[in-house]
Amino acid sequence: MQIEFLASYMPIFTSFIVLFAIYLIAALSLNMEYGYGGIPNFGHVFFISVGAYMAGVLTARTVDYIAGIKAGYCSGQASVLRTEYLSSHPMEAVGIFVASLVLGAIIGGLFGYAASYPALRLKEDFLAITLIFIGDMGRIIARNEEGIVCALTGLTGIANPLSFVKDVGTRSIAYALIVVAFAVLTYIYVQRLAKSPFGRLLKAVRDDDLAAMALGKVVPRVRGEVMVIGSALAAVAGVLRTFYIQGVVADDFQPLITFLVLTMVILGGMANNKGVILGTLIMTALDQFISPSFLSLLGISVEFDVTYMKYIIIGLIIILVLMFRPQGAIPEGPVETPALELSKSSEWDVEEKLEIGGEEERSPSG
Amino acid sequence: MDLSIPLINSLTLGSLYTLMALGLTMSFSVTKIANFAHAELVTIGGYVTALLVNWMGYGLGESLIAAFFASALLAVAMDEGVFKPMIKRGSKPLFLLVASIGIGLVVRYLLFIYADLNAVITVQAKTNVQLIGRFGRAGITTIHLWVFPITIVSVVLLHLMFHYTKPGKALRAMADNEDLARVSGVKIYTLRRLMWFIAGGITGVAGGLWSAYSVITPEIGWYALLRIFAASILGGLVSFWGTIAGGLIVGFAENFGITFMNTYFNVSTAYRPLISFVIIVIVLLLKPTGFAGFDIVGWLKEKVKGGGE
Repeated sequence: MQIEFLASYMPIFTSFIVLFAIYLIAALSLNMEYGYGGIPNFGHVFFISVGAYMAGVLTARTVDYIAGIKAGYCSGQASVLRTEYLSSHPMEAVGIFVASLVLGAIIGGLFGYAASYPALRLKEDFLAITLIFIGDMGRIIARNEEGIVCALTGLTGIANPLSFVKDVGTRSIAYALIVVAFAVLTYIYVQRLAKSPFGRLLKAVRDDDLAAMALGKVVPRVRGEVMVIGSALAAVAGVLRTFYIQGVVADDFQPLITFLVLTMVILGGMANNKGVILGTLIMTALDQFISPSFLSLLGISVEFDVTYMKYIIIGLIIILVLMFRPQGAIPEGPVETPALELSKSSEWDVEEKLEIGGEEERSPSG
Repeated sequence: MDLSIPLINSLTLGSLYTLMALGLTMSFSVTKIANFAHAELVTIGGYVTALLVNWMGYGLGESLIAAFFASALLAVAMDEGVFKPMIKRGSKPLFLLVASIGIGLVVRYLLFIYADLNAVITVQAKTNVQLIGRFGRAGITTIHLWVFPITIVSVVLLHLMFHYTKPGKALRAMADNEDLARVSGVKIYTLRRLMWFIAGGITGVAGGLWSAYSVITPEIGWYALLRIFAASILGGLVSFWGTIAGGLIVGFAENFGITFMNTYFNVSTAYRPLISFVIIVIVLLLKPTGFAGFDIVGWLKEKVKGGGE
């Protein structure tokens, strides 16, 4: 009885986990750029979409070529044939998946490098304005070009790399595990990066780029590097999403996605990866559970489209957090260095020593 | 190629963008907030006008006045409710920008719910549009008789206000240096409210005119925002005359640019927004001050300096 009950909720649970992991990668990369690096990359959705398009185009073109599919790139027939081919050739399917991830990250990084050109030259708020609109321009191009993701219809037949597994339940759990593994790897990576000298350098540049420059740090290079890393990670999130929903539609990448991811970062706490996990968890829950399909499962029906409610709540969260707790749920911690460790231990009370030192300096008369 | 239709379209849209961008220029120059919720002022103005005309049977004039007050009050509410408390807590300018995005989301989707419940997701103010004359192949209608005079009158009034009245001069002082203005006895919070009221109102009127000119949706403001920013940025985000030039340039560049590209390079007209975007990027990267030569504030500053010496 209980197992049956659980089994009926399993698909919701796995889809929640997959989306949570994908959003987590996107939010951690935005946190790297905005939280640590101070670059307001509000065109984040563009870099996610670059990875998503990359995965779609690469898979569709390669499979069409290897399997000799002659039906049109965008036709429904081609989509069916692609899915059939990928589910009967596991090696190729996994190979294309890996290739998409690698290429997606590279292309995403290149776009990030290109976007760092304005990022070095514009003031914070002008940069934010430009990047918000960059995000929307990418979508406008993609939704009007047949050759990328089939304009408005969207590209389909990008079968899951595990589609050779016949049982749907097992397959979705296995794919969820892969995505979660990527999210965990991303977390470990950004966490190590944040605690490394590079992470401290990022914070230094964010807090005062003039001071960092005066200390001999090359500020443009640091900003360029963090844009490349952040955008590559965002593109990986896009690739994982395309293989999860088995297709890619340009209009899925509205600027609202950026604002959703931004809310995750702001709500959790900027420059704090643990906070971002919390923020992502809350916002993904909101994103998933305020949807017509889930509410109808609970037997609730409303006269209007419930997704509107979701965006109102996102807007309210942004406003309230920025007004009353701009540091987020878990505020940014102090920079972790050996000196901090020392000051924490009771034997070495650094602060006291510094104070004594300060007074000694003042006492001798010149 | 007949250019009369793109010419009239450019002038109309250019005037509308100018009206919308004037409000943004005003609020940015005084408060230094890049207000993304400005889009919603356009939308609210448009909806108030369209619904008053269609449901209540008011004339366009009365409805535009109502739109002025609706958007003006919304603008004041935004500032009093969110921006002012945040500034008093010492928020960074970027946080204000993000907060304005939040406000925009709340207002836009509340309007979406309202429009969905009342089946007005797309709506146009059904005014009595009559053809008055022809310019080449393009028709001049009564809508044009509303758009052009309102734009010109607003610009002239704003110019007179900012240059010949005390609150206007004080606002310019605030735009220059808020602390100095404050110690000189300028009541900055009262003036801020006045500024938001006027900026919001003009934007609302522009939205109302748009609803008479074409079909609007709750996303019309977001759609226009790119052009509004392009026009304001061309004006360096501080100069009225620059904003007027900016609005017209954006209107002309979009209509002529896309007609030209469509005719000779077979580019889809769906790429129209890219033109405004390219304008923003080029101006911000090459000349972030926009039309510095048209910068009345800067010009006056020099004049004052020159007079002092």
